Amino acid sequence: MRFTPLTALVVAVAAAAAVTVHSAGAQSAPDRAKLLRAAADALGMVRWSDIGAGTTRLPAIDIVNTMELQGSGTIEGTGGSAKIQYHADIGYNPPAMRVEITRPGPGGAPQRTIQTVREGYAWDESEIGAGLVSGKGVATPAMAALRERLLQLWTLPYGVVKAALSAGEKTIVSTEGGATVITFPLTGPLAGITVRATLDSSNLVTRVETRSDSPALASLVTQTEYSNYGDRAEVLTDIKSPGRIVRRQNGRTVMDVEVKTWETNNPYLVFPVPANVKAAAPANSR
Amino acid sequence: MRFAALSRFAVATAALCLLSAVMIAQESSQPRRTTNAPPKPSGATPRTADGHPDLTGVWNGLGDNLNGIPNQIANNGLAIESDSVTRDLSSGLLIATFPRNTTRPQNNEQAERAASLLRRVGSNRPVYKPEYWEMVHYLDHNSNEEDPSNNCMPAGIPRGGIPSYIGQQSTHLMFVYPGQGGLIATQTMYRMIPLDGRKHTPLQELDGTHTGEAIAHWEGDTLVVDSWGFNTNTWFDQIGGYFHSENMHVIERFHREGNTLTWTATVNDPDVLLEPWTTTPRVALLNPRPNALLPESLPCSERDLGHVVTKEHH
Repeated sequence: MRFTPLTALVVAVAAAAAVTVHSAGAQSAPDRAKLLRAAADALGMVRWSDIGAGTTRLPAIDIVNTMELQGSGTIEGTGGSAKIQYHADIGYNPPAMRVEITRPGPGGAPQRTIQTVREGYAWDESEIGAGLVSGKGVATPAMAALRERLLQLWTLPYGVVKAALSAGEKTIVSTEGGATVITFPLTGPLAGITVRATLDSSNLVTRVETRSDSPALASLVTQTEYSNYGDRAEVLTDIKSPGRIVRRQNGRTVMDVEVKTWETNNPYLVFPVPANVKAAAPANSR
Repeated sequence: MRFAALSRFAVATAALCLLSAVMIAQESSQPRRTTNAPPKPSGATPRTADGHPDLTGVWNGLGDNLNGIPNQIANNGLAIESDSVTRDLSSGLLIATFPRNTTRPQNNEQAERAASLLRRVGSNRPVYKPEYWEMVHYLDHNSNEEDPSNNCMPAGIPRGGIPSYIGQQSTHLMFVYPGQGGLIATQTMYRMIPLDGRKHTPLQELDGTHTGEAIAHWEGDTLVVDSWGFNTNTWFDQIGGYFHSENMHVIERFHREGNTLTWTATVNDPDVLLEPWTTTPRVALLNPRPNALLPESLPCSERDLGHVVTKEHH
């Protein structure tokens, strides 16, 4: 075909029209990748560095792995409301969490529980790192609590962004009542649960709801609110963390914690699985 | 406080100027790498008269930092394979990767905070006995004051990583690790390592040193350097507060393939570790210039630590 000025004009007009249609389409549905990037950026998760490597220009990556938070507040249990000290070690590579809750016991003596999860294993520790060295504490398998503990990890703001990115095309971004909402399914032991996260105008995760159509997973339907974001680490990192966490189940508040510190500099936290916990787990967990 | 703030400003300004100058100089000579995946080997592997691979050479071909010393940051356990794929080399987990969305350079504070996070994000961590978890956590958290290689002390083994120069004879090897002045001040280190079949001195007869007593042997085409007899004045990795006891035993493996040298170290310290720990493999590239030399290290003179006012890592 000869490329005449008329042909060129027709091609240019057609190309311009195509761009207009594409843009209009893109505006009607929020761009998933762009929004997830914005949510990760808002938390300070996306970082790069060329320090010490002047010959590189590397892309940015998700730099959140381990975190440690300490706070205090109340939990609601079968015995009523109790004031607690809350301490959580968090890890995403591998996915793991150790939650230590201290509350006043009978006579005022503090009672401490340590609930740990890593990938397909859940267990309770009589002391930090129990069951790893002979004679040092007792690790009690708690496989029935596996999903509940993993859910706590993946419904933290960083877990939400990581899981939404990981879900790829299954993640849906929408606007509801002026707020941006991210909806995605969880996988692995949490398959069957859908997460619905609401972002504020700064793209920070402020509300996370979990849903399931399965009656077997009813106990995992929760609503968690995150507020008062800031950098609460002593080693400043520019990673934002919430200052208050409120978790509800069936409209009832089950935990309300004010965060004192949230160390985000990938601190040294490890979650080795004790041999007796591995042995007690079903074969498909190992 | 005012003096400290001024000093930090001066240090930051000087560092930025130096970094900029180096970056401009390097930018004009070679394109920047956009991945940190290990380089692919090329060329033949030279061999000595006795048939073993010849490791002799200046191993700073990646030219990653001020002295061209093989970079530790790019080997933190993550392989950035492209603009969209990053893999944790230990766990295999894919790490979300994003194109840079700005051409504006980070300021010194932003860059240092990011570098500190990146150095710690990998999953390959030594597992200490539980009674030491809090101590390691504390040492890393307070590394500005606690890091034993600050104040111009030797990095030690295996923290030194891949030597920048290896000289190989039939009976011994010479390893050279140039020190660095400036913001990360460490002392130049060297090791003379026998390769003559001798045995280790019994541990209880050794006075501990920063580099220990090293003895090398060949396992096929892999050079194995076996070291013990360390003092406790070093950490065994670049970050993390990874202290050790006098019973640390380190096995390093060097494997040359063409113009690349792959290194791993296994640390066994039953006094403090729950299990032996092996570093993520690091790969160095041979300096391609046949007349390559190591530049003189800047004199090590630590003047910054006294002015550090926060726990941010540098």
